[in-house]
Amino acid sequence: MSKTFSAIINIVKYTITDEVRQKSFIVMLVVSVIFVFLVRGCYQGNYMVNGHELDAEAIVATVSKVAFHIITIAVMLVTALFSMRVFKRDRDEGMQSCIFSKPITRMQYVVGKISGLWVLSSFFMFLLHAIIFLTVLLRLNIVMPGYLVASAICSFNLLFVVISVLLFSLIMPDIAAFLCVTGIVIVSFAAEWIFAISRYSPVTAHSGSTGWGIIYYLWPKLSGLQNFASLFIAGVDGTQVFAYIYPLINVIICCLILGALLFWRFRNEDII
Amino acid sequence: MIELKNVTKRYGSLVAVDDVSFSVKKGEYFALLGPNGAGKTTIVKMLLDFTQRTSGSLSINGIPCTNAASRAAVGYLAENYHIPPYLSGWRYLLRCAELLNIKRSDAQEQCRRIVGIIGMQGREHTKAGTYSKGMIQRFGLGAALVGNPKLLILDEPTSGLDPIGIREIRQLLESLKSQGMTIFLNSHLLSEVEKICDNAAIINLGKLLVKDKISTLVKEGDSLEDVFIRYVKG
Repeated sequence: MSKTFSAIINIVKYTITDEVRQKSFIVMLVVSVIFVFLVRGCYQGNYMVNGHELDAEAIVATVSKVAFHIITIAVMLVTALFSMRVFKRDRDEGMQSCIFSKPITRMQYVVGKISGLWVLSSFFMFLLHAIIFLTVLLRLNIVMPGYLVASAICSFNLLFVVISVLLFSLIMPDIAAFLCVTGIVIVSFAAEWIFAISRYSPVTAHSGSTGWGIIYYLWPKLSGLQNFASLFIAGVDGTQVFAYIYPLINVIICCLILGALLFWRFRNEDII
Repeated sequence: MIELKNVTKRYGSLVAVDDVSFSVKKGEYFALLGPNGAGKTTIVKMLLDFTQRTSGSLSINGIPCTNAASRAAVGYLAENYHIPPYLSGWRYLLRCAELLNIKRSDAQEQCRRIVGIIGMQGREHTKAGTYSKGMIQRFGLGAALVGNPKLLILDEPTSGLDPIGIREIRQLLESLKSQGMTIFLNSHLLSEVEKICDNAAIINLGKLLVKDKISTLVKEGDSLEDVFIRYVKG
């Protein structure tokens, strides 16, 4: 058991160090941090609408929420970008044949790869969210503990992205795998918006389980999970949380299904 | 040590390995010979579970090759070895030791010794991206020696090496013989095989043509090359 665990830990360690060594990763991290630092300007100055000064807390909540959603979506795409070549790079650089000539199972390798990428991408997102959190704390003296909780919840979206990109990269070219996952993210957000609009539209309100309705419930609810997480930013009570928990369950189930497919597919993969 | 029973591997309609059976005993220096595309590398890949067999069974030390535990005491050197270009040879060897759960202090000691064996002192801390093919091959052999394996599976170990390097590798392999190591060697360099190995098997088009002691195969006045050509050309 301890040997199994230490093999996974080693692979997690190599995944993270190999990824951080890539220039593209460093560039993406630096650009993202600079971009998020620019957001602090939004917290400065007074906002006037129709001659009335807006409430500072409302501005903080709105700007922080918008920044939260933008960061989460951007990190999902960045995660897909740096996950898509992981298997190929390991294969081309001889790490797969090195690892599998040792008493290490494919399951340990895949678990190590998923965990390494998940930890790294979650850290990436948490760092960006933490900059917003600290900006609000230092500039306006407002503490938003729910902001970091929301970030932690959204890490399940990143887990989904990591698993699906790794799976798709085994069956199609890397860039196609990236585009497929981007498509899943876009459809998830589109389904959320279309369903929200249809609920308030008198024409479609009673149409029941339309095609979009089915997609809305069965498609990976990445957008839904993000909205669920953002409830914590506003500060919600426990009962409200359980009413909106379905997206979290949906994403976890999707991760389990895609994870099982990934293990099955990788088990049959030839090591070069 | 190694046992193959009626092993067949098909890629669609192509039969890469056709009902091959043989065994390699502990401490034996065994060479698998054959022209390009004969199925040698496919057999090595099946031994390491890099690719799945279509039928038959393969085992190392009595453990089926599909079980990762069969590779616990195996060192492997691939034909076209690669090392991540951003890692130094030293870090790469340490990684191999970590993957075998060797303690950090023991791993460093072992890697120092291996760097000496493969003759790469002074270059071990430079990035692999700056290494020549021969240097990478040496570090590959070093990686195969990490953890003091009982069985070395070497796929063209002298590929990319100059004549001096080839001689050094041969001398190294001969020195390992005294330690009771078993070697499974895939090679085109028949003169080297003749000098190092005890037994050899020749395969062609996936079929095992012969397996015997080299001293039995090579008659007076013949060379292994003559024997090889005779069998392969039918």
